[in-house]
Amino acid sequence: MKPFPRLRPTAWDGLVVLCVAALALGIAFFQWRGGTQEGLTAVVSVDGREVDRFPLEELIAAPRAYEHNGYTLEVCAALRGEVSSLDHVKSDGEMGLRVARSDCPTQDCVHTGTITRSGQSIVCLPARVIIRLEGGAADPGNVDAVTG
Amino acid sequence: MMRRLLLCVLPALLLLSGCAAPVDPDEARESIQVIAMDTAMLITTYGERSPAAAYACEDVIRDLEKQLSRTDPDSAVSRLNAAGTLELGELDEELIPILSAAEAYRRETDGAFDITIAPVVAAWGFAGGEEYRVPGEAELQELLERVDGSAVRVEDRTVTLGPGQAIDLGGIAKGYAAGKLTQIFNEYEVPRALAELGGNVLAWGDRPDGTPWRVGVQDPAHPDDRNALVGVLELVDSFAVTSGSYQRYFQQDGKTYHHIIDPATGRPADSGLTSVTVVAGSGAGGAMCDAYSTALFVMGEEKALDFWRSQQGGALFSLVLVTEDGRVVVADKTGQFNFVPEEGSGYTYETVS
Repeated sequence: MKPFPRLRPTAWDGLVVLCVAALALGIAFFQWRGGTQEGLTAVVSVDGREVDRFPLEELIAAPRAYEHNGYTLEVCAALRGEVSSLDHVKSDGEMGLRVARSDCPTQDCVHTGTITRSGQSIVCLPARVIIRLEGGAADPGNVDAVTG
Repeated sequence: MMRRLLLCVLPALLLLSGCAAPVDPDEARESIQVIAMDTAMLITTYGERSPAAAYACEDVIRDLEKQLSRTDPDSAVSRLNAAGTLELGELDEELIPILSAAEAYRRETDGAFDITIAPVVAAWGFAGGEEYRVPGEAELQELLERVDGSAVRVEDRTVTLGPGQAIDLGGIAKGYAAGKLTQIFNEYEVPRALAELGGNVLAWGDRPDGTPWRVGVQDPAHPDDRNALVGVLELVDSFAVTSGSYQRYFQQDGKTYHHIIDPATGRPADSGLTSVTVVAGSGAGGAMCDAYSTALFVMGEEKALDFWRSQQGGALFSLVLVTEDGRVVVADKTGQFNFVPEEGSGYTYETVS
Protein backbone atom coordinates (compact mmCIF):
# COMPACT_ATOMS: atom_id res chain seq x y z
CA MET A 1 0.00 0.00 0.00
CA LYS A 2 1.24 3.37 -0.99
CA PRO A 3 1.76 5.62 2.03
CA PHE A 4 -0.01 8.97 2.17
CA PRO A 5 2.26 11.81 1.21
CA ARG A 6 3.36 13.95 4.12
CA LEU A 7 1.01 16.97 4.18
CA ARG A 8 2.30 20.42 4.99
CA PRO A 9 -0.13 23.12 6.03
CA THR A 10 -0.25 26.02 3.65
CA ALA A 11 -1.53 29.58 3.89
CA TRP A 12 -4.87 28.35 2.46
CA ASP A 13 -5.28 26.00 5.44
CA GLY A 14 -4.77 28.95 7.74
CA LEU A 15 -7.45 30.88 5.89
CA VAL A 16 -9.91 27.98 6.28
CA VAL A 17 -9.20 27.91 10.02
CA LEU A 18 -9.87 31.62 10.26
CA CYS A 19 -13.12 31.31 8.32
CA VAL A 20 -14.37 28.44 10.50
CA ALA A 21 -13.37 30.35 13.63
CA ALA A 22 -15.18 33.49 12.47
CA LEU A 23 -18.30 31.50 11.55
CA ALA A 24 -18.35 29.64 14.87
CA LEU A 25 -17.85 32.79 16.90
CA GLY A 26 -20.56 34.53 14.91
CA ILE A 27 -23.09 31.76 15.50
CA ALA A 28 -22.22 31.60 19.19
CA PHE A 29 -22.51 35.34 19.55
CA PHE A 30 -25.92 35.44 17.85
CA GLN A 31 -27.28 32.56 19.94
CA TRP A 32 -25.97 34.01 23.18
CA ARG A 33 -27.75 37.25 22.45
CA GLY A 34 -30.94 35.23 21.98
CA GLY A 35 -32.02 37.45 19.12
CA THR A 36 -32.77 40.27 21.53
CA GLN A 37 -31.64 42.84 19.03
CA GLU A 38 -34.56 42.05 16.78
CA GLY A 39 -37.17 44.78 16.48
CA LEU A 40 -40.79 44.44 17.50
CA THR A 41 -43.06 42.22 15.47
CA ALA A 42 -46.76 42.91 15.04
CA VAL A 43 -49.02 39.85 15.04
CA VAL A 44 -52.57 40.27 13.80
CA SER A 45 -55.22 37.66 14.47
CA VAL A 46 -58.79 37.57 13.28
CA ASP A 47 -61.22 35.34 15.14
CA GLY A 48 -58.28 33.68 16.89
CA ARG A 49 -56.48 32.87 13.60
CA GLU A 50 -53.19 34.57 12.78
CA VAL A 51 -53.56 36.46 9.50
CA ASP A 52 -50.51 38.72 9.44
CA ARG A 53 -47.08 39.02 11.03
CA PHE A 54 -44.61 41.74 10.12
CA PRO A 55 -41.76 43.85 11.53
CA LEU A 56 -43.10 47.07 13.05
CA GLU A 57 -40.83 49.14 10.79
CA GLU A 58 -42.82 48.02 7.74
CA LEU A 59 -45.73 50.17 8.92
CA ILE A 60 -43.67 53.31 8.43
CA ALA A 61 -43.69 52.77 4.68
CA ALA A 62 -47.40 52.03 4.45
CA PRO A 63 -50.32 51.52 6.83
CA ARG A 64 -52.22 48.24 6.71
CA ALA A 65 -55.94 47.54 6.75
CA TYR A 66 -57.84 44.57 8.14
CA GLU A 67 -61.45 43.81 7.33
CA HIS A 68 -63.68 41.37 9.16
CA ASN A 69 -67.26 41.10 10.37
CA GLY A 70 -68.18 44.06 8.18
CA TYR A 71 -65.68 46.47 9.81
CA THR A 72 -62.35 47.81 8.58
CA LEU A 73 -59.41 48.81 10.77
CA GLU A 74 -56.52 50.91 9.48
CA VAL A 75 -53.28 50.34 11.39
CA CYS A 76 -50.33 52.73 11.17
CA ALA A 77 -46.99 53.39 12.82
CA ALA A 78 -47.11 55.92 15.66
CA LEU A 79 -45.13 57.36 18.52
CA ARG A 80 -46.22 56.79 22.11
CA GLY A 81 -48.48 59.61 23.25
CA GLU A 82 -49.50 60.52 19.76
CA VAL A 83 -53.27 60.39 19.33
CA SER A 84 -53.92 62.00 15.97
CA SER A 85 -52.42 64.63 13.76
CA LEU A 86 -54.84 67.16 15.22
CA ASP A 87 -53.80 66.55 18.80
CA HIS A 88 -50.64 67.91 20.27
CA VAL A 89 -49.92 65.21 22.81
CA LYS A 90 -46.29 65.06 23.81
CA SER A 91 -44.47 62.04 22.53
CA ASP A 92 -41.54 60.37 24.25
CA GLY A 93 -40.23 58.97 20.99
CA GLU A 94 -41.08 55.30 21.61
CA MET A 95 -42.28 53.87 18.33
CA GLY A 96 -45.28 51.60 18.12
CA LEU A 97 -48.53 51.24 16.25
CA ARG A 98 -52.11 52.32 16.63
CA VAL A 99 -55.46 51.89 14.96
CA ALA A 100 -55.81 55.17 13.13
CA ARG A 101 -59.32 54.58 11.85
CA SER A 102 -62.09 52.07 12.34
CA ASP A 103 -65.74 52.02 11.42
CA CYS A 104 -66.62 49.75 14.35
CA PRO A 105 -69.36 51.01 16.69
CA THR A 106 -67.38 51.00 19.97
CA GLN A 107 -64.14 52.66 18.75
CA ASP A 108 -62.35 50.95 21.66
CA CYS A 109 -59.55 49.95 19.27
CA VAL A 110 -58.99 53.56 18.27
CA HIS A 111 -59.17 54.78 21.88
CA THR A 112 -56.57 52.24 23.00
CA GLY A 113 -54.02 54.61 21.49
CA THR A 114 -50.46 53.61 20.68
CA ILE A 115 -48.88 50.37 21.86
CA THR A 116 -45.10 50.31 21.92
CA ARG A 117 -43.95 47.34 23.97
CA SER A 118 -43.80 43.61 23.58
CA GLY A 119 -46.91 41.95 25.05
CA GLN A 120 -49.22 44.91 24.52
CA SER A 121 -52.24 44.52 22.30
CA ILE A 122 -55.11 46.39 20.69
CA VAL A 123 -58.44 44.61 20.58
CA CYS A 124 -61.45 45.30 18.38
CA LEU A 125 -64.26 43.07 19.62
CA PRO A 126 -66.81 44.02 16.93
CA ALA A 127 -64.32 43.14 14.17
CA ARG A 128 -62.85 40.30 16.29
CA VAL A 129 -59.33 41.55 15.55
CA ILE A 130 -56.38 41.46 17.96
CA ILE A 131 -53.11 43.23 17.14
CA ARG A 132 -50.24 42.29 19.43
CA LEU A 133 -46.59 43.25 19.67
CA GLU A 134 -44.00 40.53 20.18
CA GLY A 135 -40.22 40.27 20.32
CA GLY A 136 -38.00 43.29 20.74
CA ALA A 137 -35.19 43.75 23.20
CA ALA A 138 -35.54 41.60 26.29
CA ASP A 139 -36.06 43.92 29.24
CA PRO A 140 -36.62 42.35 32.68
CA GLY A 141 -38.26 45.63 33.72
CA ASN A 142 -41.08 45.27 31.18
CA VAL A 143 -44.46 44.07 32.39
CA ASP A 144 -45.71 40.72 31.11
CA ALA A 145 -49.40 41.60 31.36
CA VAL A 146 -51.68 44.38 32.54
CA THR A 147 -54.72 43.87 34.74
CA GLY A 148 -57.52 46.34 34.39
CA MET B 1 2.60 22.54 14.71
CA MET B 2 -0.25 23.80 12.55
CA ARG B 3 -1.88 20.35 12.53
CA ARG B 4 -1.86 20.24 16.35
CA LEU B 5 -3.36 23.67 16.42
CA LEU B 6 -6.12 22.55 14.07
CA LEU B 7 -6.85 19.47 16.19
CA CYS B 8 -7.30 21.62 19.28
CA VAL B 9 -9.02 24.68 17.91
CA LEU B 10 -11.57 23.26 15.48
CA PRO B 11 -13.37 20.90 17.93
CA ALA B 12 -13.39 23.68 20.51
CA LEU B 13 -15.01 26.07 18.06
CA LEU B 14 -17.56 23.52 16.92
CA LEU B 15 -18.43 22.86 20.56
CA LEU B 16 -18.72 26.57 21.15
CA SER B 17 -21.16 27.17 18.31
CA GLY B 18 -23.21 24.03 18.91
CA CYS B 19 -23.66 24.40 22.62
CA ALA B 20 -24.10 28.12 22.90
CA ALA B 21 -27.89 27.98 23.28
CA PRO B 22 -29.03 24.75 24.91
CA VAL B 23 -32.74 24.17 24.32
CA ASP B 24 -34.57 23.80 27.61
CA PRO B 25 -37.81 21.85 27.20
CA ASP B 26 -39.41 24.32 29.63
CA GLU B 27 -38.70 27.09 27.15
CA ALA B 28 -41.01 25.60 24.50
CA ARG B 29 -43.83 28.07 24.21
CA GLU B 30 -47.28 28.37 22.68
CA SER B 31 -49.30 31.56 22.60
CA ILE B 32 -52.94 31.76 21.52
CA GLN B 33 -55.48 34.56 21.31
CA VAL B 34 -59.15 33.90 21.89
CA ILE B 35 -62.11 36.24 21.63
CA ALA B 36 -64.73 34.94 24.03
CA MET B 37 -66.95 36.10 26.90
CA ASP B 38 -67.12 39.56 25.34
CA THR B 39 -63.38 40.11 25.77
CA ALA B 40 -60.01 39.25 24.27
CA MET B 41 -57.99 36.53 25.95
CA LEU B 42 -54.31 35.74 25.59
CA ILE B 43 -52.87 32.50 26.89
CA THR B 44 -49.16 31.69 26.79
CA THR B 45 -48.10 28.26 27.97
CA TYR B 46 -44.62 26.82 28.41
CA GLY B 47 -43.29 23.28 28.54
CA GLU B 48 -43.06 20.29 26.25
CA ARG B 49 -46.85 19.99 26.06
CA SER B 50 -47.47 23.70 25.70
CA PRO B 51 -49.37 23.54 22.35
CA ALA B 52 -51.78 20.86 23.58
CA ALA B 53 -52.26 22.72 26.87
CA ALA B 54 -52.98 26.04 25.15
CA TYR B 55 -55.58 24.54 22.85
CA ALA B 56 -57.14 22.62 25.73
CA CYS B 57 -57.52 26.01 27.45
CA GLU B 58 -59.33 27.37 24.40
CA ASP B 59 -61.67 24.36 24.39
CA VAL B 60 -62.53 24.93 28.06
CA ILE B 61 -63.20 28.62 27.49
CA ARG B 62 -65.39 27.96 24.43
CA ASP B 63 -67.27 25.30 26.35
CA LEU B 64 -67.88 27.65 29.28
CA GLU B 65 -69.00 30.41 26.96
CA LYS B 66 -71.56 28.09 25.38
CA GLN B 67 -73.05 27.49 28.80
CA LEU B 68 -72.70 30.88 30.48
CA SER B 69 -73.19 33.46 27.72
CA ARG B 70 -76.07 35.87 28.17
CA THR B 71 -76.10 36.85 24.52
CA ASP B 72 -76.08 33.36 22.96
CA PRO B 73 -79.79 32.37 22.94
CA ASP B 74 -78.86 28.67 23.13
CA SER B 75 -76.69 28.94 26.25
CA ALA B 76 -77.87 27.45 29.53
CA VAL B 77 -78.02 30.94 31.07
CA SER B 78 -80.12 32.34 28.21
CA ARG B 79 -82.51 29.40 28.36
CA LEU B 80 -82.76 29.81 32.13
CA ASN B 81 -83.42 33.55 31.86
CA ALA B 82 -86.05 33.03 29.16
CA ALA B 83 -87.99 30.30 30.93
CA GLY B 84 -87.30 31.09 34.59
CA THR B 85 -86.43 27.45 35.17
CA LEU B 86 -84.07 24.96 33.55
CA GLU B 87 -83.43 21.28 33.89
CA LEU B 88 -79.71 21.02 33.28
CA GLY B 89 -78.50 18.74 30.51
CA GLU B 90 -75.17 16.95 30.37
CA LEU B 91 -73.62 19.91 28.57
CA ASP B 92 -74.71 22.41 31.22
CA GLU B 93 -72.76 20.91 34.09
CA GLU B 94 -70.72 24.04 34.90
CA LEU B 95 -73.79 26.01 35.88
CA ILE B 96 -74.27 24.32 39.26
CA PRO B 97 -70.80 25.00 40.72
CA ILE B 98 -70.73 28.55 39.40
CA LEU B 99 -74.20 29.32 40.81
CA SER B 100 -73.14 27.83 44.10
CA ALA B 101 -70.01 29.98 44.17
CA ALA B 102 -71.95 33.10 43.19
CA GLU B 103 -74.40 32.57 46.05
CA ALA B 104 -71.54 32.10 48.53
CA TYR B 105 -69.91 35.37 47.42
CA ARG B 106 -73.28 37.18 47.59
CA ARG B 107 -73.70 36.12 51.20
CA GLU B 108 -70.09 36.92 52.14
CA THR B 109 -70.29 40.40 50.61
CA ASP B 110 -73.73 41.12 52.07
CA GLY B 111 -75.23 41.44 48.59
CA ALA B 112 -72.59 43.75 47.08
CA PHE B 113 -72.07 40.98 44.51
CA ASP B 114 -75.33 39.65 43.12
CA ILE B 115 -75.83 37.89 39.78
CA THR B 116 -79.55 38.78 39.75
CA ILE B 117 -78.59 42.41 39.08
CA ALA B 118 -78.94 41.46 35.39
CA PRO B 119 -82.24 43.30 34.62
CA VAL B 120 -80.84 46.53 36.11
CA VAL B 121 -77.58 46.22 34.17
CA ALA B 122 -79.61 45.65 30.99
CA ALA B 123 -81.73 48.75 31.67
CA TRP B 124 -78.54 50.85 31.65
CA GLY B 125 -77.50 49.25 28.35
CA PHE B 126 -74.43 47.53 29.80
CA ALA B 127 -75.60 44.01 28.93
CA GLY B 128 -74.56 44.43 25.29
CA GLY B 129 -76.65 44.90 22.19
CA GLU B 130 -78.68 47.76 23.73
CA GLU B 131 -78.16 51.51 23.62
CA TYR B 132 -76.73 53.13 26.74
CA ARG B 133 -79.35 55.12 28.66
CA VAL B 134 -80.15 56.44 32.13
CA PRO B 135 -83.23 54.61 33.50
CA GLY B 136 -85.83 56.57 35.44
CA GLU B 137 -86.13 56.22 39.22
CA ALA B 138 -89.49 54.42 39.06
CA GLU B 139 -88.11 51.93 36.56
CA LEU B 140 -85.05 51.29 38.71
CA GLN B 141 -87.15 50.71 41.84
CA GLU B 142 -89.36 48.24 39.99
CA LEU B 143 -86.31 46.38 38.67
CA LEU B 144 -84.54 46.41 42.05
CA GLU B 145 -87.43 44.45 43.58
CA ARG B 146 -86.33 41.51 41.44
CA VAL B 147 -82.71 41.62 42.65
CA ASP B 148 -82.21 38.92 45.27
CA GLY B 149 -79.71 36.14 44.65
CA SER B 150 -81.12 34.09 47.53
CA ALA B 151 -84.24 33.45 45.43
CA VAL B 152 -82.27 31.36 42.92
CA ARG B 153 -82.93 27.70 43.71
CA VAL B 154 -80.88 24.69 42.66
CA GLU B 155 -82.56 21.35 43.37
CA ASP B 156 -81.03 18.20 41.93
CA ARG B 157 -80.38 19.28 38.36
CA THR B 158 -83.07 21.94 38.12
CA VAL B 159 -82.40 25.66 38.51
CA THR B 160 -85.29 28.02 39.21
CA LEU B 161 -85.22 31.81 39.33
CA GLY B 162 -87.51 34.07 41.36
CA PRO B 163 -90.37 35.91 39.59
CA GLY B 164 -89.08 38.25 36.88
CA GLN B 165 -85.47 37.46 37.68
CA ALA B 166 -82.56 37.05 35.27
CA ILE B 167 -78.92 36.28 35.98
CA ASP B 168 -75.72 37.66 34.51
CA LEU B 169 -72.51 35.77 35.25
CA GLY B 170 -70.27 38.42 33.64
CA GLY B 171 -68.85 39.32 37.06
CA ILE B 172 -67.62 35.83 37.81
CA ALA B 173 -67.39 33.80 34.56
CA LYS B 174 -63.92 34.95 33.46
CA GLY B 175 -62.50 34.34 36.92
CA TYR B 176 -64.16 30.93 37.00
CA ALA B 177 -62.62 30.18 33.59
CA ALA B 178 -59.19 31.25 34.88
CA GLY B 179 -59.64 28.80 37.75
CA LYS B 180 -60.42 26.01 35.27
CA LEU B 181 -57.17 26.77 33.45
CA THR B 182 -55.17 25.83 36.54
CA GLN B 183 -56.60 22.30 36.23
CA ILE B 184 -55.37 22.11 32.64
CA PHE B 185 -51.92 23.43 33.59
CA ASN B 186 -51.67 20.71 36.23
CA GLU B 187 -52.95 18.01 33.88
CA TYR B 188 -50.51 18.97 31.10
CA GLU B 189 -47.62 19.54 33.54
CA VAL B 190 -47.22 23.14 32.42
CA PRO B 191 -44.33 24.61 34.43
CA ARG B 192 -45.23 28.23 33.73
CA ALA B 193 -47.95 30.13 31.92
CA LEU B 194 -49.57 33.52 31.71
CA ALA B 195 -53.28 33.85 30.98
CA GLU B 196 -55.00 37.19 30.44
CA LEU B 197 -58.77 36.85 30.33
CA GLY B 198 -59.95 40.44 30.03
CA GLY B 199 -59.03 42.09 33.34
CA ASN B 200 -58.32 38.69 34.89
CA VAL B 201 -54.68 37.55 34.97
CA LEU B 202 -53.45 34.12 36.01
CA ALA B 203 -49.70 34.04 36.61
CA TRP B 204 -48.75 30.36 36.75
CA GLY B 205 -45.29 29.41 37.99
CA ASP B 206 -42.63 32.04 37.36
CA ARG B 207 -41.04 33.69 34.33
CA PRO B 208 -38.59 31.71 32.18
CA ASP B 209 -35.73 33.64 33.81
CA GLY B 210 -36.88 32.45 37.24
CA THR B 211 -38.17 35.83 38.43
CA PRO B 212 -41.85 36.50 39.29
CA TRP B 213 -44.26 37.50 36.53
CA ARG B 214 -44.64 41.28 36.34
CA VAL B 215 -48.30 42.29 36.06
CA GLY B 216 -49.04 45.99 35.71
CA VAL B 217 -52.10 47.57 37.33
CA GLN B 218 -53.71 49.96 34.84
CA ASP B 219 -53.88 53.62 35.86
CA PRO B 220 -57.65 54.39 35.90
CA ALA B 221 -56.88 58.05 35.11
CA HIS B 222 -55.33 57.06 31.76
CA PRO B 223 -57.27 54.05 30.52
CA ASP B 224 -56.29 54.78 26.90
CA ASP B 225 -52.56 54.45 27.62
CA ARG B 226 -51.50 50.85 28.16
CA ASN B 227 -48.14 52.10 29.44
CA ALA B 228 -49.80 54.13 32.21
CA LEU B 229 -49.70 52.06 35.41
CA VAL B 230 -50.20 52.74 39.11
CA GLY B 231 -47.72 49.99 39.88
CA VAL B 232 -46.54 46.48 39.14
CA LEU B 233 -47.48 43.27 40.93
CA GLU B 234 -44.71 40.67 41.06
CA LEU B 235 -46.58 37.39 41.09
CA VAL B 236 -45.92 33.66 41.25
CA ASP B 237 -48.82 31.17 41.10
CA SER B 238 -51.43 33.88 41.60
CA PHE B 239 -54.59 35.44 40.25
CA ALA B 240 -54.97 39.20 39.89
CA VAL B 241 -58.35 40.63 38.91
CA THR B 242 -59.23 44.30 38.49
CA SER B 243 -62.63 45.99 38.39
CA GLY B 244 -62.62 49.65 37.43
CA SER B 245 -65.12 52.34 36.58
CA TYR B 246 -63.06 53.24 33.50
CA GLN B 247 -63.52 49.85 31.85
CA ARG B 248 -66.98 50.54 30.42
CA TYR B 249 -68.93 53.75 30.67
CA PHE B 250 -70.93 56.35 28.80
CA GLN B 251 -71.54 60.05 29.20
CA GLN B 252 -74.84 61.86 29.12
CA ASP B 253 -75.56 65.51 29.88
CA GLY B 254 -71.97 65.95 31.04
CA LYS B 255 -72.15 63.13 33.58
CA THR B 256 -70.31 59.82 33.40
CA TYR B 257 -72.09 56.53 34.12
CA HIS B 258 -69.97 53.39 34.53
CA HIS B 259 -70.89 49.72 34.39
CA ILE B 260 -70.41 48.57 38.01
CA ILE B 261 -73.95 48.78 39.34
CA ASP B 262 -74.60 48.90 43.09
CA PRO B 263 -77.30 46.26 43.81
CA ALA B 264 -78.56 48.45 46.67
CA THR B 265 -79.30 51.52 44.54
CA GLY B 266 -79.48 50.23 40.97
CA ARG B 267 -77.07 53.02 39.98
CA PRO B 268 -73.34 52.99 39.12
CA ALA B 269 -71.48 52.54 42.40
CA ASP B 270 -70.34 55.91 43.72
CA SER B 271 -67.86 54.61 46.26
CA GLY B 272 -64.87 56.90 45.90
CA LEU B 273 -62.84 54.18 44.19
CA THR B 274 -61.73 54.10 40.58
CA SER B 275 -60.37 50.54 40.62
CA VAL B 276 -60.06 47.50 42.86
CA THR B 277 -57.51 44.76 42.25
CA VAL B 278 -57.83 41.50 44.16
CA VAL B 279 -54.78 39.21 44.34
CA ALA B 280 -54.84 35.64 45.62
CA GLY B 281 -52.86 32.42 45.28
CA SER B 282 -53.74 30.16 42.37
CA GLY B 283 -55.34 27.69 44.77
CA ALA B 284 -57.85 30.27 46.00
CA GLY B 285 -59.95 30.36 42.85
CA GLY B 286 -60.21 32.95 40.13
CA ALA B 287 -63.98 33.17 40.61
CA MET B 288 -63.46 34.53 44.13
CA CYS B 289 -61.10 37.26 42.92
CA ASP B 290 -63.47 38.19 40.11
CA ALA B 291 -66.55 38.43 42.35
CA TYR B 292 -64.70 40.21 45.17
CA SER B 293 -63.22 42.82 42.85
CA THR B 294 -66.73 43.86 41.81
CA ALA B 295 -68.18 43.66 45.32
CA LEU B 296 -65.35 45.61 46.96
CA PHE B 297 -65.61 48.32 44.33
CA VAL B 298 -69.28 48.69 45.31
CA MET B 299 -68.41 48.72 49.03
CA GLY B 300 -65.86 51.54 48.84
CA GLU B 301 -62.52 51.88 50.61
CA GLU B 302 -63.55 51.64 54.26
CA LYS B 303 -65.89 48.66 53.94
CA ALA B 304 -63.54 46.93 51.49
CA LEU B 305 -60.66 47.15 53.99
CA ASP B 306 -62.94 45.94 56.81
CA PHE B 307 -63.92 43.00 54.61
CA TRP B 308 -60.25 42.30 53.87
CA ARG B 309 -59.39 42.41 57.60
CA SER B 310 -62.24 40.02 58.44
CA GLN B 311 -60.83 37.13 56.37
CA GLN B 312 -61.13 33.86 58.20
CA GLY B 313 -58.42 31.22 58.43
CA GLY B 314 -55.52 33.49 57.60
CA ALA B 315 -55.08 35.91 54.75
CA LEU B 316 -56.56 34.57 51.52
CA PHE B 317 -56.45 37.62 49.33
CA SER B 318 -54.81 41.01 49.06
CA LEU B 319 -55.98 44.33 47.65
CA VAL B 320 -54.77 47.26 45.62
CA LEU B 321 -57.33 50.06 45.80
CA VAL B 322 -57.11 53.20 43.66
CA THR B 323 -59.14 56.09 45.01
CA GLU B 324 -60.71 59.09 43.29
CA ASP B 325 -58.58 61.41 45.43
CA GLY B 326 -55.32 60.06 44.00
CA ARG B 327 -54.23 57.41 46.49
CA VAL B 328 -53.15 53.81 45.96
CA VAL B 329 -53.90 51.66 49.01
CA VAL B 330 -52.14 48.30 49.25
CA ALA B 331 -53.51 45.76 51.73
CA ASP B 332 -51.48 42.57 51.98
CA LYS B 333 -50.87 40.13 54.78
CA THR B 334 -49.94 37.17 52.61
CA GLY B 335 -46.41 38.28 51.77
CA GLN B 336 -46.84 36.22 48.59
CA PHE B 337 -46.27 39.09 46.20
CA ASN B 338 -44.51 42.38 45.87
CA PHE B 339 -46.12 45.63 44.73
CA VAL B 340 -43.81 48.09 43.02
CA PRO B 341 -45.22 51.65 42.83
CA GLU B 342 -44.88 53.39 39.49
CA GLU B 343 -42.49 56.30 39.70
CA GLY B 344 -43.92 59.58 38.48
CA SER B 345 -47.52 58.31 38.44
CA GLY B 346 -48.67 61.22 40.63
CA TYR B 347 -50.36 58.94 43.17
CA THR B 348 -49.55 58.71 46.85
CA TYR B 349 -49.05 55.21 48.15
CA GLU B 350 -50.32 53.76 51.44
CA THR B 351 -49.89 50.34 52.97
CA VAL B 352 -52.47 49.13 55.47
CA SER B 353 -52.62 46.16 57.80
